[in-house]
Amino acid sequence: MKRECFSVSGLLNKYFDQEVTPEERSLVEDHLPDCPVCRSALQSMEDLRILIKSPVEEAVEKETFPWVWEKIERGIQREGRPGLWESLMSRLDVTPFLKKKIMIPVAAVAVALILMMVPILYEKITSYPIPSVVEYVESETYNVMIYQLENQKGTVIWLFNGPEEEVSPS
Amino acid sequence: MNENEAELIFRCQKGDQDALKEIFNQYHKKVYRIAYGVVRQREEALDIVQEVFIKLFRSIHQFRGKSKFYTYLYRMTMNTSIDHTRKMKKVSALSMDEDAGFQLSDDAERRPDRILDHKELEARVQWAMDQLSPDQKAALIFREVEGLSYQEIAEATGSSIGTVMSRLHYGRKKVQELLKDYVEGGR
Repeated sequence: MKRECFSVSGLLNKYFDQEVTPEERSLVEDHLPDCPVCRSALQSMEDLRILIKSPVEEAVEKETFPWVWEKIERGIQREGRPGLWESLMSRLDVTPFLKKKIMIPVAAVAVALILMMVPILYEKITSYPIPSVVEYVESETYNVMIYQLENQKGTVIWLFNGPEEEVSPS
Repeated sequence: MNENEAELIFRCQKGDQDALKEIFNQYHKKVYRIAYGVVRQREEALDIVQEVFIKLFRSIHQFRGKSKFYTYLYRMTMNTSIDHTRKMKKVSALSMDEDAGFQLSDDAERRPDRILDHKELEARVQWAMDQLSPDQKAALIFREVEGLSYQEIAEATGSSIGTVMSRLHYGRKKVQELLKDYVEGGR
């Protein structure tokens, strides 16, 4: 291999695939007449292409594709047309939102919102209903106070011995 | 993508089977070529053609026109073909389907020993191609069989041009080494 082969051999694949620039083409073509090694490498690529491509071309040429379309039609009917969900998704085009770079911030915002909502919800759920005084009756023996809960599900009655003394809730 | 093709794709996305048939008429040979290039067996390649167009009909709503339609279709074909090769049982080199061998051009070459040579050669090529990684195999078939440019191969395989060049370089080198008796230098 000649010294200039080192610079040209890296271009041989590109040259063979016709992907070189005009300058690269000139470089290779100036080199080839004097270099049997590079010519042989190109010939190997050509031989390989023939080995890979020829049987395929011959197979395509003689193929009649018997009943292929009919089988495709049957296959589609068997599997059914795209479902309602698939059609809806295709119309809405949510695919951009499923991309990782969008999904991660969206998920982070969702988690933050949930974390912010939890104390509020928890407080609301665990807070006791504020009772309202329905009636307060004073007498010589007992004072009675009746509370009606806000949700109408319960009534609390207190009995007081004196003006400030609580006996027991019932 | 020309206007007619865009219209066909749009109709197909709406579930129009006549549009799919037109796409099939336009592309089935190309799909078959890629499939045959990978599996090198007629029946398998025909099965792949069917599977690809059924898959296309089911998933064409995902095609947004950001890439060329044919590279989208070729990618689907290559993935389906490589899946098939994984499923296929390995057959011995000489038990290949007769149709998969070379077709000899004249009667003089149809002697049994010549037919055996060609069948054996085809089997060796298939074996050598099977030694490549799926990515190298895809790049080589897109280039050698379908004649795609580096840019088109990059689009169809979802990789960069540099990666495509590397896969072609090392893929060719490996297959040439495995088939050195049949390519220049081994003669």
